[in-house]
Amino acid sequence: MSTEEYPEIEITLNVNGKDYTVKVKPYERLLDVLRYKLGLTSVKEGCGRGECGTCAVIMDGKLVASCLVLAVQARGKKILTLEGLTPPGKLHAIQKALLDTYAMQCGFCFPGVIMAMKSLLDRNPDPTEDEIREALSGNLCRCGSYLRFIKAAKLAAEYIRKGQVYFEFKG
Amino acid sequence: MALSTAEYVRIIEELFEKVKKFTYVGKHMQRWDAIEKILGKARFTADYANLYRNLVYVYSVRAKYAHAKIRKIDVSEAEKVSGVLKVITPKDIPGVNDVGYVIPDQPLLAYSKVRYIGDTVALIVAEDPYIAEEAGEKVYVDYEPLPVIIDPLEIVDPVTLEEKKHVLIHDERESDIVARYRIRTGDVKKGFEQSSVIVENEYRTQYAEHAYMEPEAALAIPEPDGGITIIASTQCPYEARRAISKVLGMPFNKVRVVAPPLGGGFGGKEDVANEIGAKAAIATLLTGRPAIAVHTREESIIGHSKRHPAIMWYKHGATRDGKLVAVEARIILDTGAYASLGPFVAWRATVHSVGPYKVPNAKVDTVTVYTNGVYAGAFRGFGNPQIHFAVEQQMDLLAEELGMDPVEFRLKNILRNGDRTVHRQLLDHGVGLEEALVKAAEAADWYRKRAEYAKQTGTVRRGIGVALLWHGNSIGAEGADYSAVSIIINRDGSITFRTGLTDMGQGAIQGLIMLAAEVLGVPPEYFRVEMPDTASVPDAGPTVASRTTAMGGNATLVAAYKLRKKLNEVAADMLKCSPDDIEIKAPEVYCRGDPARKIRWIDLIEECFWRGVSLQEYGYYRAPKARWDDEVGHGEPYFTYTFGAIMAEVVVDMETGKTYVERIVTAYDIGRVVNRVGAELHAEGGAIQGLGYALMEEIVHSPEGKVWNPNLYAYYIPTILDVPKEIISVFVEAGYIRGPFGAKGLGEPSINGIAPAIANAIANAVGVRIKSLPMTPEKVYLELKRKGLIKL
Amino acid sequence: MDLSGLKDKLSYVRKVNGNIAIGALTTPEDLAETFLHKDKKYLGFYDIYKKFASPILKPLATIGGNIGVAVSASDYLTFLLTLNAKVKLVSVEGERLVSLEELVVEKRTLAKDPNELIYEIIFPELPENYSTAFMKIDRREVIITGYITTAVCLKIEDNKIADVRIAFDRVNKRIPGRAKKTEEFLKGKEFSVDTIREAYNKVFPAEIVRKSDFRASGEYRLDLSKVLMKRTLLQAKSRIVEGV
Repeated sequence: MSTEEYPEIEITLNVNGKDYTVKVKPYERLLDVLRYKLGLTSVKEGCGRGECGTCAVIMDGKLVASCLVLAVQARGKKILTLEGLTPPGKLHAIQKALLDTYAMQCGFCFPGVIMAMKSLLDRNPDPTEDEIREALSGNLCRCGSYLRFIKAAKLAAEYIRKGQVYFEFKG
Repeated sequence: MALSTAEYVRIIEELFEKVKKFTYVGKHMQRWDAIEKILGKARFTADYANLYRNLVYVYSVRAKYAHAKIRKIDVSEAEKVSGVLKVITPKDIPGVNDVGYVIPDQPLLAYSKVRYIGDTVALIVAEDPYIAEEAGEKVYVDYEPLPVIIDPLEIVDPVTLEEKKHVLIHDERESDIVARYRIRTGDVKKGFEQSSVIVENEYRTQYAEHAYMEPEAALAIPEPDGGITIIASTQCPYEARRAISKVLGMPFNKVRVVAPPLGGGFGGKEDVANEIGAKAAIATLLTGRPAIAVHTREESIIGHSKRHPAIMWYKHGATRDGKLVAVEARIILDTGAYASLGPFVAWRATVHSVGPYKVPNAKVDTVTVYTNGVYAGAFRGFGNPQIHFAVEQQMDLLAEELGMDPVEFRLKNILRNGDRTVHRQLLDHGVGLEEALVKAAEAADWYRKRAEYAKQTGTVRRGIGVALLWHGNSIGAEGADYSAVSIIINRDGSITFRTGLTDMGQGAIQGLIMLAAEVLGVPPEYFRVEMPDTASVPDAGPTVASRTTAMGGNATLVAAYKLRKKLNEVAADMLKCSPDDIEIKAPEVYCRGDPARKIRWIDLIEECFWRGVSLQEYGYYRAPKARWDDEVGHGEPYFTYTFGAIMAEVVVDMETGKTYVERIVTAYDIGRVVNRVGAELHAEGGAIQGLGYALMEEIVHSPEGKVWNPNLYAYYIPTILDVPKEIISVFVEAGYIRGPFGAKGLGEPSINGIAPAIANAIANAVGVRIKSLPMTPEKVYLELKRKGLIKL
Repeated sequence: MDLSGLKDKLSYVRKVNGNIAIGALTTPEDLAETFLHKDKKYLGFYDIYKKFASPILKPLATIGGNIGVAVSASDYLTFLLTLNAKVKLVSVEGERLVSLEELVVEKRTLAKDPNELIYEIIFPELPENYSTAFMKIDRREVIITGYITTAVCLKIEDNKIADVRIAFDRVNKRIPGRAKKTEEFLKGKEFSVDTIREAYNKVFPAEIVRKSDFRASGEYRLDLSKVLMKRTLLQAKSRIVEGV
């Protein structure tokens, strides 16, 4: 079938706390909805096959590869992307920790990594190094900031345990 | 006109001699772009798609064979597909159909033949990417398949390095030899006669893939005056402009290239950006609409340059007391279907081929050949990861033969201040290799561990290995080596920084800001970095060859120095003290001798405005001209070298052959640490990339020239579970007088020594040497089995 | 065809009449929350989970899909063969139960009608003195196919191998299978490394075919199969005897 012959389907999903109703083709992916229809460009397409982690978002509390979720499979679900992590003007403890550990290089993998850390810390507020490594094992970083991710996750966990979830910053 | 007395050189030397205390240089500082990236707001090339309406999508129809003549191409069916605006074939190219980086051997759109599986034969321009892909399947090409050559030894004889008879890949050049280089120093025959020990081996390294997380992309926008703006994932906007102008047949000033932050480059976005940029540009030219071309991961892997595979044969000779006497080498580099940066890679490999040692007699011959594999070009290290893998194992083997500790043996032969390299280049200062090696040995606890690991039993064993490295800074004799920045102090005291050097994650721009901040006396936060844009930033040369700090840093110092002089003059007049007495610690400006006499930074700037003192400076720096005698390989190939020592600790599971890297210690002489965070991240990131290169990465071609593993599931780069517990970085500062405060580059050197250090560690652990990369569990296991060291 | 609407109905792990039933849409992430990851008899499931794809895929992949795609890299398929699992197929015409071995015929080939849905996977509960293990080794730790994979289900009684089932990613077809001759050889014998060595050197090589491809040679795959056979058996035994 050519693309024109596929019907459009209307779906509603909740992204970063807000409901959106969009028309999608059956073959379109959650990644396409987030990135192109909703303009949430923190969600990257590094491989389109779930092998790199740059498209990772949190869907109904689970870390998933948005390139492998069909848009229609996301109907009625709650999605969190990096854009929805903090109120404007603030940094989340995870972001602060990544800055404090000077982990930033090209930054392309960061949205996916931050989502993976969020997913980890939501489930496990005091992770060991092994648990951190496992939680981030689906996020490839070619620039090589891995060891700093481990330090940052520990630091973020500490901030959150102390009640410091959000930090002010001057933009 | 003697370049060596140019004012810009004088400024750099003066700053090197005079400034000994630093406020910003050498400190840990946050990157200028950290906040936008941490918020997910940073705009990478493909992210621009959302900002433009009316976009058209460009799809590349690629070759069906790795080597075939094109008899005919029929696009009539594709043109009929609803939603297709244009199908572009070679006849539609208004300028020159070529994107070859060094040699004009690479058509943008293949016309007479295809030479590798990624060659593009037509472009579909359509209203949406799915329609474009569908139409692509309806392009019919009548191919006449030709023999596919994947093995470079079918092109050239391994011993004579003479070209063999075969069906030519580049028949238009009448030969598939791309380049040859040589070194002839002393007399190797005599040298080997004087040697008590001789070690001779063949080493092989693999095709490697950059695997940056951001696939290539380009977006072209038509301008009202007929010009075209191209936003592209390029490391070199000015090179991209040159290449795209050539394809479009338009003057440089009508082609504007903008380089957003890259999601990784490592050399891979040096030339492919020209190709994808030209594709988007020509689509825009022919449709009048903004056009976007984005690679899928698979297209990225089969469609952009790789690291050259190498076949290297080395013979080393040393005397009984541990002195290197002779090195003979033959190096064959496979550049795949097109030359790309192949000629330069081969040259750098040749220059560095004997390692950072005193070598009285040397005979090196390098040849680069075409094959039908994916073309090879620039990739971090640029020939050095390959030759260091060979050389550093040879050094270890000599040490073994001599019964000497590998570090001790190297200390007897390394280059030091006052020595001449194998090219007869005098290194009168700036050689920090000994200090690096000694510090690495200390940090790694080398001697104790070597003693301990010598007495192991069981099938899981530890090992520690060393490797030294060197890396000439910037482009050497490849071309005119210059860089430029412009610094504008705005009327409100904020500062605009412009340069054509790009950021691909390496963060060297932060170093430039720190250098400018240091000289001007202002906090780095005052600076805003403009995006590299050929419409507004100076041509700084390409962002390659670990040159951003070394060359861009000098240009920055020159601009900042000139500004500072002007500011000092005006401030001195305002405060009634001497210009040399002016201390700027923005927001304050005062007289060093009488700090009570002070003004604010913004007052000084405003006063300059009213006095007509322009606070906009262009800083230009040109490197000393490299000298290279092609006949004997002598001269001054690079103005300075970064040196390093790596120690890797491994655990080898003999039953499976798997190697786990526990710890990597790196010690780099980078002249002066400017951006300390950047330097540490290079040491760590390079170690991790080097680990991948050493143990797991490999692009494999089928005999038909197809890539077996064009995805991240079968091309293994290290995940977080594969990296060592610890990567330690030590820095040595043996400053180079013509570097910014003595600084040298680290982008590439940080990968050169990792694979050989791991190879030497494996040998130390289990007693076998793996002479080909990657050193997979299979290779280690089968070698152990062959030697009877493991029995199931 | 999008089955995600059936997620509620087809995602479960239940004990039914002495069997354990896993719904076809159960994901590895779902399994991780059940007793299958904690009960030392079923730790093979935990072993698979640790090496399964990567965290971003564990909530999306399904057991039914893993079996349905029928390739040698289908880790759950390999493991379930050692549990003598059966599959319930459902269609408008009714339902039927078929053994995994009969269902998965060759690479990407299932002996079922296209309109039959994989509904659930059932295997008998393991009695005491049983445990399981699974191992996969490759050039890196995760997001891997594995040079080879090995799954075992073992019963130890009086230090003897009372029952053993061993499966690999490939035995003599291009799909996971059991090394039955090796199992027969081992049954009833004293559990020791020497016995295992005898099994993998004398009996095993005759019943397994290991081919070379761009990833690895047949020789290495065969030797690695021996090593992982030994290691999974040792792991399973340790779980039975020491509880870990």
